[in-house]
Amino acid sequence: MKTQNAEEHIAARLKELAAERVRAPRDLAARFAAHLSKVASHPDAVPIRLCGSKLEARARGTLLSAAMKNGVRVMHACGAQTLCATCRVKVTEGGENLTPMTLKEKVSLRYHFSVSPRVRLACQARVLGPVEADAIFPLCGTLPGDA
Amino acid sequence: MLKAERMPAAPDYSVSDDETSLLARLRRGDPAAAREFYDAYAQRIHRFILHALGPGNDADAEDILQDTFMALAEGLPFFRGQSSLFTFACAIAHRKTVSFIRNRARRGELMKDHTAEVVRLIIEPAPDQDLKNALASLSSEHRQVLILKYVEDMTVAEIAAVLSMSEHAVESRLARARRALTKALA
Repeated sequence: MKTQNAEEHIAARLKELAAERVRAPRDLAARFAAHLSKVASHPDAVPIRLCGSKLEARARGTLLSAAMKNGVRVMHACGAQTLCATCRVKVTEGGENLTPMTLKEKVSLRYHFSVSPRVRLACQARVLGPVEADAIFPLCGTLPGDA
Repeated sequence: MLKAERMPAAPDYSVSDDETSLLARLRRGDPAAAREFYDAYAQRIHRFILHALGPGNDADAEDILQDTFMALAEGLPFFRGQSSLFTFACAIAHRKTVSFIRNRARRGELMKDHTAEVVRLIIEPAPDQDLKNALASLSSEHRQVLILKYVEDMTVAEIAAVLSMSEHAVESRLARARRALTKALA
């Protein structure tokens, strides 16, 4: 009973904060609308972030193809055959927006001791929605002098 | 009374009919729908971010709000409708906030100087200042669950979706947060 009273007291006190006016910036509404129509005008383009670079990937295309198309280095020694696992990426956000791991990918990652739900092969993971990932192999991404 | 009798049927947290039409318009890039969505949710999302960051971080909260809305615009075409739009938006805001806090910790930035804020509060004390001070003394995780539960009236299942946690973990965190707040208010 005492716990219930304490909870009711806290709920009542915190409800006071709901009445508090918080001002969201007005100009953001226009920027949100502009960005939304830009995204809607390219239904096949999926915005992703790879090695810190913002890219547009083709829907259902692989992370590696998006990287290559946009000039972001991702090592792929075996030529996307799932043999080398040098294209391993660590998914930091939006892992659910990648296609599920295939058996080939699982076997390759297990062989290279990289079994983690957050680690994927860029040559196999296909983009379904916004994702953020970083290459694990060194000297990937955009290097000084690339531009 | 049996527990099963007291338990309501599993609620449906997916997108409501009103939101379905709004979502369809948002996906088409309709500017009026974007404005409608912004007017309905921006203030609540901003408040969630402000409380997650704690006092004295208003400028950072605005930056995170902006990142959240840009990510939302990019994520809406891929939203599967398994939660309400507000839950989806809060989940993005939560991820952006956590990422910001982690980056700040990684950079080893010192906490901001809150002197000006404290002086302002002493000069013009607000009636609910004790509550705000008590909330400020809690961790960001505790503040987030309390705000989502008691200010935004979210269910435990919805909070679990926002914070990417199990419902059981949310309940435990809520209990700890309540205890911490009671102690801070005492």
